[in-house]
Amino acid sequence: MSMPPWKKFFGPGFIGMLSSTPFMLLMLFGFVAPLLCVVWFGLMPPKTFDILQTPTLENYRTILGQTYFKSILWSLALAVITVAILLIVCYPLAFAIAKIFRGGGYFITYAIVTSLFVSENIRLFGWVIGFMKNGVVGGTLAKYFDIQIDSLLYNIPAIILGMVYVYLPFMLFPLVLGIKMIPDPVREAAFDLGASRWQVFRKIDLPLSMPGVMIGSLLVFVLSIGAISEAKILGGQKVVTIASDIESEFTYAQNWPLGSALSTLFIALTTIVVFFALSRFDLEKLLGKKTS
Amino acid sequence: MESSASIPILKVSNITKRFDKFTAVNDVSFDIHDGEFFTLVGPSGSGKTTLLRMLVGMEKPTSGDLSLRGKRINELSPNKRPTCMVFQSLALFPHMTVGKNVEFPLTIRGVNDSDRRTRAMELLTLLHLNPTRYYNKNVTQCSGGERQRVALARALAYDPDILFFDEPLSAIDAQLRKVLQKELKDIQRRTKKTFCYVTHSLEEAMVMSDRVAILRSGMIEQIGSPDEIYSSPKNAFVAEFMGEVNLLSITTDEPGRATWAANLNRMPIHIPVAPLLEAGTTRKLLIRPESLRFLAPGETAGNSVPVRILNEFSLGSRIQYHVEVAPGCSLTVERLREERTNSTDATLGWEIQDSQVLES
Repeated sequence: MSMPPWKKFFGPGFIGMLSSTPFMLLMLFGFVAPLLCVVWFGLMPPKTFDILQTPTLENYRTILGQTYFKSILWSLALAVITVAILLIVCYPLAFAIAKIFRGGGYFITYAIVTSLFVSENIRLFGWVIGFMKNGVVGGTLAKYFDIQIDSLLYNIPAIILGMVYVYLPFMLFPLVLGIKMIPDPVREAAFDLGASRWQVFRKIDLPLSMPGVMIGSLLVFVLSIGAISEAKILGGQKVVTIASDIESEFTYAQNWPLGSALSTLFIALTTIVVFFALSRFDLEKLLGKKTS
Repeated sequence: MESSASIPILKVSNITKRFDKFTAVNDVSFDIHDGEFFTLVGPSGSGKTTLLRMLVGMEKPTSGDLSLRGKRINELSPNKRPTCMVFQSLALFPHMTVGKNVEFPLTIRGVNDSDRRTRAMELLTLLHLNPTRYYNKNVTQCSGGERQRVALARALAYDPDILFFDEPLSAIDAQLRKVLQKELKDIQRRTKKTFCYVTHSLEEAMVMSDRVAILRSGMIEQIGSPDEIYSSPKNAFVAEFMGEVNLLSITTDEPGRATWAANLNRMPIHIPVAPLLEAGTTRKLLIRPESLRFLAPGETAGNSVPVRILNEFSLGSRIQYHVEVAPGCSLTVERLREERTNSTDATLGWEIQDSQVLES
């Protein structure tokens, strides 16, 4: 007895395909198409706005001939430092939220999520008011302690502080989820078998929370390598990141093909770094492991 | 078994654990002897897990003392105690192989690679896990029974003075559980380690243990060998906990006689003279299902009552009957298959010495 053909057509496969259509369309027009546009635009002659010209590698030659690599290195360095600081800052807090505070952890979670309701730029300007000459910090010190300090802004620590502050939730929450996945009896068993607290951390907590560590680090890395506002608002012109280079090519320099070429190169670089990290740590394997 | 039953290795004195107003363990005292298989058994909520967690150091007692080989260990944290536990969930390390799991306590102790490996191989062999097949196997790929053995091997690698078990067999299917129970007893005999096992199943406790302590709402009801507990349960709770038994509500009259309140029916019956009780005392009369029998016409017994047979269940070599004495009052009878009865109405009888008067 074979299925009538119409039934075959409207089978589970068809419904699955139908369900995925909105997502596929969104990805196609919202993600793939613009990306292809950028890649293609990068191959157009410099300072033109026509996309139907003969492709050329001139923009890439320009990039290699100039000092854009400096901006790329700055972006990379800032991203790596941000990830490192956030790991150290967030792991203990995430551990406390996941394993110690129990109910109280929700308060911290809500408090941190609430900060995301305010736009990133506005929050950064808050730091500016705090750190500028005669700002909240300087003014307070001058009035009550008679200490005169200059502006605390426009240097690299200020940029890093801004990035750490803005991207904290993106590190914290994956870590909380990662640490929640560690079964309590497994930690207790290690402790019971003679392990010290440090050994439990090294041999049990850290390896078992690795999925959270990886996801948080990648998320923060990818977000902060493309960061632009922190360096601009808190860093003045002290440091030029690659993202702000790209922005000025599109706006100030009116050189869209060069901006596109820079974007393409930058996307490729980030992708390589991320895939390298993913291949080092088998995320699938870490996530796929059932613990019970 | 008798030879080792003298030296206490762990002395538990007046241990109490309170959580806010709730008392989980209430003034419990007992000894665990060197080399014995000791079992704490009680229904859920009886405080057995809390008691166990205090014995291994994961909870601090509110009051009372624990001493191991004469040394007070109240304040010692689990990683400093020479005892360890096999968890209910087994708590194997999911990111390590079977070999690395077993070696874990040795790694912590700083034992070198080759000694560690040798010991792990020995232990895997002892537990019937072929080392060449299992050493490099991922624990997450092991079956339930294999995981039990890995957990036990890991605990034995720690070489504890006392090995505690928190119902590790409860999630295993009945058939495999029986095999593992016997294996556990066998391992205990061969390693001569002191085992302290916690379970909610008295049947499991009876199979494995040298001595059993029965817990009820944070207190110990009875401690003794399985035989002692079976033959002379201290009260109705212990008797009922042991399995299907008949407990009759009685009120004593003159010595050797009582009134059985079978729901609304009140019947005079004969009971053992000992213990001597004042008239009018309410007690439970324990009669095992196998002590009850159907009387043939003209046959007599110490006590006899007319009954109606409600149901029969096959237990293999035996048949279990549910019989009704009065509306709302039924008894359980177990007879050999050869003595099968087919009628619905019968006379049930039992001998006076086969019944025991217990406190409820």
